[in-house]
Amino acid sequence: MVQDKTFASRMFDFFNVLLLAAVALLMLLPFLHVVMGSFTTTEELARKPFVLIPTEFTLDAYRYILSTNTIFRALAVSIGITLAGTLISMILTSFMAYGLTRRDLDGRKTINLMIVFTMLFNGGMIPTFLVVKNLGLIDTYMAMILPSAISAFNLIILRSFFQGLPDGLEESAKIDGCGDFGILFKIVLPLSLPSLATISLFYAVTYWNSYFSAIMYINDAGKWPIQVLLRQIVIAASGMAADTTNEFIKPPEQTIKMAVIVVSTVPILIVYPFLQKYFAKGALVGSVKG
Amino acid sequence: MGNNVNRMKWVSAFCSLTVATAVFAGCGKNSDESAGDSGKTGGDSGPVKITVMADLQTTEVPSDKIEKLLEEKTNAQFDIQWVPDGSYDEKFQAAFATGSLPQVVYLKNSASFVLLRDAIKNGQFWEIGPYLKDYPNLKNLNPQILKNTEVGGKIYTLYQERQPARSGLIYRKDWADKLGIPAPKTVDDLYNMLKKFKEADLAGGGKTIPLADRNDLVYGSFKTLSMYFGTPNNWGIQDGKLVPDFMTKGYMDTMKFMKKLRDEGLINQDFPVTSKTDQQNLMYTGRSGAYIGTMGDVKTMQEKTEKNVPGAVFDVTNEIAGVNGKPVTWGLSGYGTLIVFPKSSIKTEAELKKILGVMDQFYAADVANLLKYGVEGEHYTMKDGKVLPVSDSKLIEKEVRPYLNMALADTTNVKPSYYTMPVAEKANTLSNNAEKFMITDPTASLDSKTYNEKGARLQEQIKDATYQFIMGKIDEAGFQAAVKKWQNDGGQKIIDEFNESYKSSGGK
Amino acid sequence: MNNTALQGSPGAALRPKSGRWKRMVRNRYIYLMILPGLLYFILFKYIPMFGLIISFQDYQPYKGIMGSDWVGLEHFRRLFTDSEFWVIFKNTLVVFVVNIVFYFPVPIILAVMLNEVANSYFKRIVQTIVYVPHFLSWVIIVSISFVMLTMDGGIINELLAYFGFEPINFLMSSAWFRPIYVLQVIWREAGWGTIVYLAAMAAIDPGLYEAARMDGAGRFQQIWHITLPGIRTVVIVLLILKIGSVLDTSFEHIYLLLNSMNKNVAEILDTFVYTAGLKQGQFSFSTAVGLFKSVIGLILVMFSNWLAKKFGEEGIY
Repeated sequence: MVQDKTFASRMFDFFNVLLLAAVALLMLLPFLHVVMGSFTTTEELARKPFVLIPTEFTLDAYRYILSTNTIFRALAVSIGITLAGTLISMILTSFMAYGLTRRDLDGRKTINLMIVFTMLFNGGMIPTFLVVKNLGLIDTYMAMILPSAISAFNLIILRSFFQGLPDGLEESAKIDGCGDFGILFKIVLPLSLPSLATISLFYAVTYWNSYFSAIMYINDAGKWPIQVLLRQIVIAASGMAADTTNEFIKPPEQTIKMAVIVVSTVPILIVYPFLQKYFAKGALVGSVKG
Repeated sequence: MGNNVNRMKWVSAFCSLTVATAVFAGCGKNSDESAGDSGKTGGDSGPVKITVMADLQTTEVPSDKIEKLLEEKTNAQFDIQWVPDGSYDEKFQAAFATGSLPQVVYLKNSASFVLLRDAIKNGQFWEIGPYLKDYPNLKNLNPQILKNTEVGGKIYTLYQERQPARSGLIYRKDWADKLGIPAPKTVDDLYNMLKKFKEADLAGGGKTIPLADRNDLVYGSFKTLSMYFGTPNNWGIQDGKLVPDFMTKGYMDTMKFMKKLRDEGLINQDFPVTSKTDQQNLMYTGRSGAYIGTMGDVKTMQEKTEKNVPGAVFDVTNEIAGVNGKPVTWGLSGYGTLIVFPKSSIKTEAELKKILGVMDQFYAADVANLLKYGVEGEHYTMKDGKVLPVSDSKLIEKEVRPYLNMALADTTNVKPSYYTMPVAEKANTLSNNAEKFMITDPTASLDSKTYNEKGARLQEQIKDATYQFIMGKIDEAGFQAAVKKWQNDGGQKIIDEFNESYKSSGGK
Repeated sequence: MNNTALQGSPGAALRPKSGRWKRMVRNRYIYLMILPGLLYFILFKYIPMFGLIISFQDYQPYKGIMGSDWVGLEHFRRLFTDSEFWVIFKNTLVVFVVNIVFYFPVPIILAVMLNEVANSYFKRIVQTIVYVPHFLSWVIIVSISFVMLTMDGGIINELLAYFGFEPINFLMSSAWFRPIYVLQVIWREAGWGTIVYLAAMAAIDPGLYEAARMDGAGRFQQIWHITLPGIRTVVIVLLILKIGSVLDTSFEHIYLLLNSMNKNVAEILDTFVYTAGLKQGQFSFSTAVGLFKSVIGLILVMFSNWLAKKFGEEGIY
């Protein structure tokens, strides 16, 4: 955006940047503490509650995590579910979101209300489990995708974005002989990159964090996504082991918990900067003439 | 107006579509979800097929080395479903609700047992009591522990042995020695020790916090301390009737004691919200000198603290006297977790008997040692007749550790552990000793309908009142008012029901 | 564009009863488009909803839903007659209001600030940083707060002591519960919340800004007259959604902050259900309370949706 050079404008920028930097610092520090804590020894962590620069650098915690044979498998499972799930969700959600923008659709308001309803009312864990079971999805990868394929929240937001597109676009496309699917693919989706990127991010994060669906529907440990494995590590690390007279139970270190956080969040954190290019401004410039 | 009529049409269309799909989906119901074969035994001479649900507390599912050995020794074929500890309860509920529990189900811990009482009384699980005498090891199970697991006077579970009385005091011996304090033998001794710790400020910089406690009235300091003031274990007999501990003088004395400790800065100020990690950190960093909890923790404590504080030495004791001058402590019911046998997966008595035959061997030396320690020569060696694990802890974690949760015997028929740290061995010896003077909860095997329904919520009120008293937010009168409220909200019913149950079970 | 003076849905005029069948046929591809989604909702949301029936039963897992006894409104009676009910209900509503009033504007403000940054390098970095806290679980956040706020050597209290002030019992006082709660929420969620707003701002025509600048508008005026109105629809939608979901969130967070001293302000319906119901395996009771909460949420959503439409906005249904 072209900046004006007035003094007021520059002062605005100055304070804006200052404040943002302060906010960023505030948000970053605790995370930095966790990251740094994962590279330090437990002893140092116990000594200084806030470690910003570890004096005793060590990779022990990561070595421990990576030494479990199943971690790479779990990572692969998670990546697979995230990619497949986001794709499936985006298709289902954007189709439905666009369809519901058509004001001349009979039953539209009812369907919208029904969707909102599902955000508020939830049948519970066991009935959902029964449905999944009866569909034969137990112990399948799809069980970690299908039950949460569409988020009503995301659907409503995406629909709202689609509705924000000028009506003129649709009409001119129809005049040009475009069918409904054509409008969707040729006009609506290309012009909605920022919102599509946003909703994809939301879905990706949700799939990446899948824990509960894995726990409930998957019995085969080989299909565990990474969050399950990581939580098991934390449980083992917190020494919640059966305390018996058995001497050799050694609870692993506190720093492991921190390394687990890093391993489980850093991959998804990296995704956002790549999506940012879709947030280019003015995607709609010149789309509607006259 | 017209719109609303139209709306209704859409709503009903939507609903019928839903119902239709529901019926359709429901038609596909299969009834064979149990993990593995449901107890089909291949003829009388073939191995017994057993499906198991066990709690996984390690990061990975174990290799099947131990499982194969187990199958050899017991002539059975196991199909073990390892469920991650973090969601064990949910998985259990789901399996239970859908009739897909396996044949041998480990409960997560003793707390889960309460949730099953109703189901047990309604015949969902096999009563195994009458069969125990037919098996060489089962008939020798500890009758007191079995009694503690009874529901309605009948036995439905096999127990996993655990030392019942492991709590005591862990303290910095080097501090005590420096200040010329011997091991405390009474509560007053303890108090004086804490006071001297604070005055001497051996942690430096005014940062000494003599006693480190955490947000747990049971496994923190409170319960153990309460024993020394004559408080019963959860429930006690007064004038021939059962009363809850918080209605006794001992409880009030304990609260006053803890309040005093807090007011005088002898305990961490935020202990009601301090986590176990932060509590232990206070010890590991050398800020605190005393810790009341499981004495076995001393091993980790010694190892971690001496890294930060060279010269730190810990000692343990549990021989602190109660109001009658003799050492006293509280005891759990003697089991860590229990196994139940669902009728939904064990269809016949014959099947049950075969399975019991296999479980019987879990209490025999061979299998018990296998599950607890692994294989001699591979996972451990014998030193002075005791078990010394090999130093490759990764190997043990991967192959042996998970089976610890399945092991049923802990000390009976089991080879003793070799302790590399004398004070850890002392902790174990003291814990074993404590069985002689521990006080148990007389309501362990009793039943109260109101307790099952509302007990937890009502107990919260008492817990809140206890903390509020210690923090000085309410006074004695305020506490008694809370007790009265507890009684009115249903507590009195609980008292009555337990007393009835007590009388009808023989009132020992 | 929208003739919202009409009663009923704005589009009702576009769907006259006559010619309905023809219209539906013309829109057949649209129906095809939404069919998969509909199936999803029916299968995974509506069918399981029958599970709500257990609110009126004494549900026992081994009896199944069909076999459990009916108790009618017993659980609701138990809820409403609990001595603590009104306090808990009030706390729940206060948490809700606090979320809406104090938390909700923050991501918007933050997004506006980010939007104004010219240097895309700086902007990207800050954007990525501010959404990092969202990934830390409440357990971590509460435990870090504990370390900072504890009276046993926490930084804040040490600073207070250094300046000669009395130590403050942050963690166990009723007075501090709500401030600490909302600050933690803001810290964790504000950055993540900017994402949607930034996406909406990206869709605003830059030409509008140019025109405003040429008319002599200053920065604040541009924000007030262009940026904010440009995202108004998204803000309203999110507000209504938040109203519908606030009663639901926060369980884990508040449960971690809850203790015997602040219970009179901190206990909400969800934590109550946890101790009174779930821990003792009382599914029916906890489902009943959940149902009650959902109904309240529904009323709030319907009200705010109606209000939004009154002001000429689209609403969420």
